[in-house]
Amino acid sequence: MADLIQLIVLIGIGYFIGTRVEKKHYKSIEQREGKLIHLPVVSGEDLLEDREISEAQLIYANAVISTDYFKVMLAGLRNFIGGEVSAFETLLDRARREAVLRLKEKAQGADIILNLRIETCTIMSKLGSSEALAYGTAIYYKK
Amino acid sequence: MKFIPKEINNNVNISPTSPVKDFFELVIKILGLILAVYVLLGFVVDYIAPRISIKTEVDLGRLFSSRLERKKQVYTELQVQQILDELLKNSQNLPPFNYRVYVEESRDINALALPGGSIVVFSELLKQARSRNEIAVVLAHELGHFYHRDHLRGLGRSLVFLLISSALFGSDSSASKVITNAMTNAEMRFSQSQEKAADLYALDLLNKTYGNVAGAIDFFEKMSEKEKLWSFFYIFASHPYPESRVKALKEAIKINSYTIGQNIPFEYGQKNE
Repeated sequence: MADLIQLIVLIGIGYFIGTRVEKKHYKSIEQREGKLIHLPVVSGEDLLEDREISEAQLIYANAVISTDYFKVMLAGLRNFIGGEVSAFETLLDRARREAVLRLKEKAQGADIILNLRIETCTIMSKLGSSEALAYGTAIYYKK
Repeated sequence: MKFIPKEINNNVNISPTSPVKDFFELVIKILGLILAVYVLLGFVVDYIAPRISIKTEVDLGRLFSSRLERKKQVYTELQVQQILDELLKNSQNLPPFNYRVYVEESRDINALALPGGSIVVFSELLKQARSRNEIAVVLAHELGHFYHRDHLRGLGRSLVFLLISSALFGSDSSASKVITNAMTNAEMRFSQSQEKAADLYALDLLNKTYGNVAGAIDFFEKMSEKEKLWSFFYIFASHPYPESRVKALKEAIKINSYTIGQNIPFEYGQKNE
């Protein structure tokens, strides 16, 4: 019985606090994405404009987003019968977008970021955090 | 080529399903699955339990008795064993086990019939008992379970349940833990009709042994008095003593015209071991 109560409390905390944190994070992501929308980030290696370059720099950024107990339970239950693990979709989405946003924030004053690559790796695999590493080349045109 | 920034409004990477709905849907589906498997395996156990040979049961019983075994039976154990031996002398058609009493320290008022002829009596039951007859009733009742081979069925169901839970939640619990759990769950699985059948067997055996059925109702009445206070928790009780059982006992006494004789007093732990 005590185990059951503990489980329900953990799931409850995970759901209510986790949802609030997630909402807040998405709000911040959308706001910052809007602010940085004028800095292009492309996966291509060629410049879009034929202009002289003053500086090119390797930049990278990463973000680690942790899961909550509710999501872990949801994914665990999904494990029994199979199917899409929608519980972890927002986690990956947040990590990826946050990493690209940080990349843009790091490349302040750049005109374009070329050769964007995004990778993920597993840290804290047991607890289920999602990590995204974004890197690319920031290009500064000659003014 | 000119870069034109464009805002993307819909996010294809996130499913539009609600996680709460998803959660409850999964819980219901999985619980349904567990229930189906549990019921099915229960039928399997009911089918297998009466067909388990005496030899297999003795082997299985060793698993339990090795956990309970002490070098020497303590004084109270010997006292209770003596009552059991008296009963055994007068019993017929019991499976040919080596019937042994184990007294376990516990605050539960209860006794268990384990495979292979082990009977575990909790100390609190002996402390509460005022007469040898009351203890004889409990022992005869457990012998009734052996006679009807309920104890295997009860254990079987709980073993099935343990198998399911270990398959779902991992089996980090050690084997002894599993056995202990099976032990404490064993007596939970008896149905009311199984209990009543064991009661009637006990009554008959009591009459054969002592020539009367003294103490038969005393014990169950005492229990049902206690249970009244906790009637709300009735369904949670592992070994309920409902008034209906007392009633059934009284009726059986009337029908078979058993005599209710004198109680033989019993005192718990007279000689310090």
